[in-house]
Amino acid sequence: MLVDRLLRQGAMTELVGPLSSGRTSVLTLCLRAVTRRGALAALVDVDHAFDPGSAAAAGVELRRLLWVCGEGRRRDALQALDLLARCPGFALVALDVGESPPRLPLDAAFRLRQAARRSGVAVLVLGARRVVGGAASLSVRTRHDRLAWVGPGPMPRRLAGMRTGLHVVRKQGAPWPAETERLWWTA
Amino acid sequence: MVDGVSRFACVRVEAFAAASLERCEPGLREQPLAVVTGAPPATRVLDANARARAEGVRPGLADAEAVVRCPGLVRRSVSAEAETAARHALLEACLSVSPRLEDAAPGLVHVDLDGLGRVFGDESELGRRLRRHAHAVGLEACVGIAGSRADAGVAARLGSPVHVLSPGAERAALAAVPLATLEWPAALAATFARWGLATLGDLAALPRAGVGARLGPAGLAAHDRAAGVDRTPFRAWTPPPFWAEAQGLDWEITTVPALVPVLERVLARLCARLAGAQLLIDVLEMRLALGSGGLHARSVALAAPLGEAAPIVSLLALEIEAHPPPAAVTGVALSARVVPRRAAPGGLWQPPAPAPRDLATVLTRLTLLVGGANVGTPVVVDSHRPDDYTLAPFDGHAGAGDAVPGRDDDPAQPHPIAGSLALRRLRPPRPVEVDTHDGRPTRVRNTSGLAAAVEISAGPWRLSGHWWDTDAWAHDEWDVALSDHTLWRLSHNRLNNQWFLTALYD
Repeated sequence: MLVDRLLRQGAMTELVGPLSSGRTSVLTLCLRAVTRRGALAALVDVDHAFDPGSAAAAGVELRRLLWVCGEGRRRDALQALDLLARCPGFALVALDVGESPPRLPLDAAFRLRQAARRSGVAVLVLGARRVVGGAASLSVRTRHDRLAWVGPGPMPRRLAGMRTGLHVVRKQGAPWPAETERLWWTA
Repeated sequence: MVDGVSRFACVRVEAFAAASLERCEPGLREQPLAVVTGAPPATRVLDANARARAEGVRPGLADAEAVVRCPGLVRRSVSAEAETAARHALLEACLSVSPRLEDAAPGLVHVDLDGLGRVFGDESELGRRLRRHAHAVGLEACVGIAGSRADAGVAARLGSPVHVLSPGAERAALAAVPLATLEWPAALAATFARWGLATLGDLAALPRAGVGARLGPAGLAAHDRAAGVDRTPFRAWTPPPFWAEAQGLDWEITTVPALVPVLERVLARLCARLAGAQLLIDVLEMRLALGSGGLHARSVALAAPLGEAAPIVSLLALEIEAHPPPAAVTGVALSARVVPRRAAPGGLWQPPAPAPRDLATVLTRLTLLVGGANVGTPVVVDSHRPDDYTLAPFDGHAGAGDAVPGRDDDPAQPHPIAGSLALRRLRPPRPVEVDTHDGRPTRVRNTSGLAAAVEISAGPWRLSGHWWDTDAWAHDEWDVALSDHTLWRLSHNRLNNQWFLTALYD
């Protein structure tokens, strides 16, 4: 299963990609899988961009999600991630750094990895470019692949879905196929 | 229990001041006890237990006269803290049976029994359950059950442990009860005697207006009480956010072995109260009153929340040995910070939820970091307005271990649909200028002048709401793919003809 390959207990995963590449959909998929198993998840949302309505429609059990809005304060968001990564009991702690990722020194990134390893929390960081670098055991780049529209006549009536390509940038013992993996998302 | 008829229980502890001291020193139950107040030689008996009353000791008696009547009388000064703790203990014991109760007076609690019959059985069983819960916190209570609080109060004074008055039969059952069964102001009691009234039935038979004209508000209240009419509203009691127990000492304690039994008794009372409310102790604060007039305060944080007194007493003893009080101890007070006891453990294959204290610490630090309004669990509001949500406090045990059955994907399909396309919201929505052709958007420009052509658009999806209010809104929503390979949700405000980027498909 994709989520089991993306998230590993006590390890960090990085998900990078441009706007409309499907990275938030991958995050929502991970939140759905974790919360529907009965476990707790936390999301540190720097740009206050998380949409509870579409997440609930995607099947995320919102009552098991702790949402921390950073209101654009990236340094505070990193501190919040550090606090949550040190709290055993969360199955997933995600950080959405948005379009302007902060600079994270390498030693801080490795300290974060150590904290996740000790507490057994899976950490997922997503943004427009890589933040944690070599501290991530898996880095995956998302790419906008194609769109599907439906409706009779020349003008489409409805957005039907989007296809995302997942390409591994870095992996450290993580099982992942060599070729690009493609996923369809329904609108 | 008869449906549609109000039923109340009155839980009453007789000689409450004495009972609250007996709760602190259980050995006093076997001896005649008088609670006294005032400095000698004006010391008077305030209250007495049943053994002392049997020997003729009555409230109001001079201390010296009480000793003459009962030579073996044990006298204790009135303790406000013991009485407060016992009052809270009785309320909490009743709270574990019914969520609606009224703190009528010290040692007197009115319990609303509405709907409890289906949970606990008939009214006699309810009464016995209330007595058992009161006994568990160290108080012996009598319970009266009737259709009004006034009648239930009279029934609780009739002597039997549980006295149930059948619905509709209260008046007949209580008509012959002597007026002396209830406490009346002395002037009122004298007037009743002068009028020749002997029973509640005699008083209730008098015209209410006439009693009011002659005796004023006190007479009206007495008539209502005799007639079993509740004219005051039910003032529901809510438990305080702190849990404390205290005990004053008549002697000074200078060694830890002598202090431990006192701590054990106080903690046992606190644990019994917490057990009734399904709570566990997380942090215990101990305040020792000193003979020098000072206060020695220590705080003991437990590694894991506990509800048993024995291990906590050991920790308290170790804490006192490590940080001994500078003077002799004359009083002990314990207050607990509590966490709810989990109703059930999580599933065997589910990841364990965070420890309550760890989670509380993390949530507090997150709140300090980003503000209380930015931390919580999202709750989608049942509304047609897009992006309508609220934040609720995060509960780490909400549905813990309650997995939702079903597969997360379908491996049988060669290109499975992974899930739903997620939205990233722009908060607040970003105003843009939009060129249109035949009503469809063709070009989007943001406020800094950057423009992109619309390659494909789908819509409009018409939404509106609150048209009956000043907060009316009406939008047309479009899904648009721009030339820079981004996919947006555009919103056209039909009320002011403005366009906004509200969200991004990602």
